[in-house]
Amino acid sequence: MIRMLLRVLGHEYARAMRRTVALMTITAMAEGLSYALLVPVLRALLGSTPADAWPWLIAFGAAVAGYAVLRYLSDLAGMRVGTTMLRGMYHRLGEHLARLPIGWYSSGRVGEVSVMASRGLLQAMGVSAHLLAPFVSALVTPATIVAVMLAFDWQLGLAALAAAPVVAAIQAWTARSTAAADADRHERDKEAAGRVIEYLQAQPVLRAGGRTGERFEALDDSLREVRRASRRTVLATLPGAVGLTLAVQTVFTVLLVLGAYLALGGSIGAAEVLTILVLAARCADPLLSLSDIGGKLRGARSELARLDAVLRTEPLPEPAEPVQPEHAGLEFDAVTFRHGGRRVIDDLSLSVPPGQRLAVVGPSGAGKSTLLQLLARFHDVDAGAVRVGGVDVRAISTEALMARIAIVFQNVYLFDGTIEENIRLGRPGAGEAEVRAAATAARLDEVIERLPGGWAANVGEGGALLSGGERQRVSIARALLKDAPVVLLDEVTSALDPVNEAAVHEGIERLMAGRTVVMVAHRMRTVRRADRVVFLDGGRVVEEGGHDELLRRGGRYAAFWEIAIPAAYPRSLS
Amino acid sequence: MTTTGLAQEEDPSPPLLRPYGWSFAGVVLLQVIGAVAGLAPLLAVVELGRALLSPGPVDHGQVWLVVIAGAAGLLVRLLFTAASSGLGHVLDGRVQLALRRRLAERLGRVPIGWFSRRRTGELAKVVGEDVSAVHPFIAHAPGELVSAFVVPLVSLVYLFSVDWRLTLITLIPVVLAVALVPLLMLPARLREQEEYDAAMGRIANAVVEFVQGIAVVKAFGGSERAHRRFLTAADDFVGIFSRWVRGMSAVAAGMQLALSPPFVLLVVLIGGAALITSGGLAPADLLPFLLLGLGLTAPVAALGHGFDDLQAARRAVGRIKDVLDVRSLPEPARPATPLGHRVELRGVRFGYEADREVLRGIDLVLEPGTVTALVGPSGSGKSTLVQLLPRFFDPTHGAVLLGGADLREIDSRELYRLVSFVFQDVRLLRASVADNIALAVPRAGHDDVVRAARLAGIHDRVLELPRGYDTVLGEEAELSGGEAQRISIARALLADTPVLVLDEATAFADPQTEQAVRRALAALAGERTILVIAHRLETVADADTVVMLDDGAIVERGSPAELLARGGRFAAFWQSHRSAVAGDAVPQGDEPR
Repeated sequence: MIRMLLRVLGHEYARAMRRTVALMTITAMAEGLSYALLVPVLRALLGSTPADAWPWLIAFGAAVAGYAVLRYLSDLAGMRVGTTMLRGMYHRLGEHLARLPIGWYSSGRVGEVSVMASRGLLQAMGVSAHLLAPFVSALVTPATIVAVMLAFDWQLGLAALAAAPVVAAIQAWTARSTAAADADRHERDKEAAGRVIEYLQAQPVLRAGGRTGERFEALDDSLREVRRASRRTVLATLPGAVGLTLAVQTVFTVLLVLGAYLALGGSIGAAEVLTILVLAARCADPLLSLSDIGGKLRGARSELARLDAVLRTEPLPEPAEPVQPEHAGLEFDAVTFRHGGRRVIDDLSLSVPPGQRLAVVGPSGAGKSTLLQLLARFHDVDAGAVRVGGVDVRAISTEALMARIAIVFQNVYLFDGTIEENIRLGRPGAGEAEVRAAATAARLDEVIERLPGGWAANVGEGGALLSGGERQRVSIARALLKDAPVVLLDEVTSALDPVNEAAVHEGIERLMAGRTVVMVAHRMRTVRRADRVVFLDGGRVVEEGGHDELLRRGGRYAAFWEIAIPAAYPRSLS
Repeated sequence: MTTTGLAQEEDPSPPLLRPYGWSFAGVVLLQVIGAVAGLAPLLAVVELGRALLSPGPVDHGQVWLVVIAGAAGLLVRLLFTAASSGLGHVLDGRVQLALRRRLAERLGRVPIGWFSRRRTGELAKVVGEDVSAVHPFIAHAPGELVSAFVVPLVSLVYLFSVDWRLTLITLIPVVLAVALVPLLMLPARLREQEEYDAAMGRIANAVVEFVQGIAVVKAFGGSERAHRRFLTAADDFVGIFSRWVRGMSAVAAGMQLALSPPFVLLVVLIGGAALITSGGLAPADLLPFLLLGLGLTAPVAALGHGFDDLQAARRAVGRIKDVLDVRSLPEPARPATPLGHRVELRGVRFGYEADREVLRGIDLVLEPGTVTALVGPSGSGKSTLVQLLPRFFDPTHGAVLLGGADLREIDSRELYRLVSFVFQDVRLLRASVADNIALAVPRAGHDDVVRAARLAGIHDRVLELPRGYDTVLGEEAELSGGEAQRISIARALLADTPVLVLDEATAFADPQTEQAVRRALAALAGERTILVIAHRLETVADADTVVMLDDGAIVERGSPAELLARGGRFAAFWQSHRSAVAGDAVPQGDEPR
């Protein structure tokens, strides 16, 4: 557990952590040792000369004072290490997340990572601040007390010592048997959470079928599974907890019996026996609390394991000696890319000379968007090479590559902030005038005029306060401002109504001027702007050529458009 | 402090936990018996001391009796606490399932429009995590809290009977600890607690933004500046967190020290030594204080210990209740039966917020057997208007009538049998293709499902899936956006309702889907009442009536040809679109027709 914690933390915090644990151990030992002084104190008090207790009592008082100082110091150290680690972890996780390839971020990951980075991290780090000290003390104090007992009476001491291997064995066994149940429980929780989201999002349709609440079996089944899993977790933890209690209590009973026997036989004084039994009672409580602390530690451990898994995911390797691309040409050289067990791109070769425009057309799932993602190195290819400016993208530093490429995605995500801030993201150093010019070129000024607050208007989380077309225009302005030599457009106009489409097209036209462009498109109007068209299916180039040429050829490409173009001008109107 | 009491105090209307009252009582009783029995071994040590320390010969029989009693007490404690804990957790599972079912049931009845203003993730969190957070409330709090108070109380009575002076001395640490509690409740501390919660919320938001925007962030360079916002929120949070911890640490350390066993023992021993040396206390009477005295600190420790969890649980219960308290759209007491399928909007006004009307007085009649196309610039209220038909919202003024009956007077199940819709954001369930298509008509036969799929142009694609119509979507296969939309069209075709509302979505993802929509519209025409938000000129041109919406009001209506001839707003709109899509039309000449 601590090893995993140290690995997650990275080694810079390991020393502080070890120091803190050492301090906690010393504190717990001090507590145990201070009890040694109870023996002479009680011997005097229960014997015939109670006044002899005072010097020992003063010594005990001094020991308690020493323990108090140590405890304060170790509490403080625990908290300090806790907060430092928390800050360190946030930074470590944040930096790591930023370096992970975009391909890693599937839709399910968004929720998972947000929980992990907020609550999960805090819970995992809470280990050191809240759980470590009680855990160390629950183990070390009884052990020290047993040592003290051994020093005073070897028979009773040995009997108490017999508990140690049993407690250790039970702890180890519980940890193993519950790990599986915990993992299962987590799996069920995740499954149920997915079903709940599905249930919420599909409400209109579900209601139409009268399937709400328990009548939507998929959800109800998963909720019942959650209960079953939690019952299994209880069943897995209960034997450990009961076993621990049983062991501790048995040892206490043995001490009680043995103590009575020895005292009756007269081989040990009554005061000694009673003191040892008082000490034994002091051992029992911390040991019993172990199962409670153990449960909490397990919770933190599974959070830690999830953090560990993310932190161990390798980002795409950065080149040791980065090469600068020489021009704005693009090339796919026998590229194969697999994703989710499928060949998304299959031995594809293709090149776009600098300044040319390539349109990528094909049915859904043909691998069109993946093509763009490989150019921007969201993923690395499995075979072949993707080159920008004649250089393999893996040999270009991420920064240099991104500086050359502007992407306009189909789904635009805007940050909660003003329009201006969102545009400026394209080139943070841009001047006021440049930002305005980009906005005007993307025909954003009419949007800004309409918004209450204009330029300073907030766009809401994810840009929710703007319509799809308006968001698209912001993203085009962003790309215009970036002024990169390569432009990638991903089905930019598919999600637009005609009014927005016209505006967006104007912006796109400006964006494409003089640049190397690859666009995924399925509006013929967009395609016609390209110098060349490739028709993609199943990750391969099926047809390639000019738009008119391909239409005349009457192959797949022509068939694709045939169903798309209806009798565009109805009889009644033309 | 029982949980049933809490249910009464927290929840006046439908009790969340009351049905489990007896089970809770059982958990508490078992726990209390077990915990009190746990005192037996300690008392056995005390009695052993009395026997051994008493002057004269030791009574062997009595010693062994005491030892046996102590051992028996331990056994009882083991059995009862284990039973209580097991029962508590089983009960916890039952309560959680019941709560989740109630939430699901409630969420299945709130107005659909209510969802649009909430994040799905947050609601899912209520059903999942928040219900789980109630766990300590149910499984731990009743038994453990009650025994944390009962056991010290029993001990206290016993100790008082032994010696009242030493009992008071033994209470000194508890009093010290309690005296420090107000310092934890200082306004500064409470403010820090609030700041802490707020900062935690900011971190959660920053993370969501960071992760969702990751593609943009990476594409627009500088991963270093990318997560600055997240790191700022994190640093901010850590700062507040450490301030909070620092503010608490001295007081908390003081409390913990006062309650720590060495300190309690020191206090008891000093008091005991003073009393014994002055002859006021028999030496054997010191033992119970050494053994039971430590237990007196339990309530304070339990309060401090379980406090955070209970606070979290209380907040979670609050959020659960908020959801359970959402009012569903009122159902009519005596549902009206619609006569025919004529849809009528009378003076409809609607706004999402009180001061901003999105629809400003709409009067519109949709005749059965006609297609009405709704056109207008974005933001004119088209989407809102069509959402009133399936009663996602109720109008703030005026009424929507179906077959002469106000929608509010129609039973909601009946309504959904009459009105179906195809909207832009298609949600597929992780279920088989057949189930997905038959979602609104659970009893549909396989042939009907296939027929609908064929008509929606998705049949061939389904056959390509690993297990055809039995393929579980999202597990065995993924569909593209366009394919998902065609599934949704198949759903509507299968539902075969007399009224169809269709957002000819801005986002029909590919030509095949656009074709499917047109085929569906053609197939459905006849006696049906169809309202469509039109984005394509051909849909507008084929409609019987065109309604032009602008800024929440109807500005023009009539047949397409009529409106074009009038040369008004619609004609201008039409011309601008015509030029906008002109590019698409050019290849017509090249195509063999």
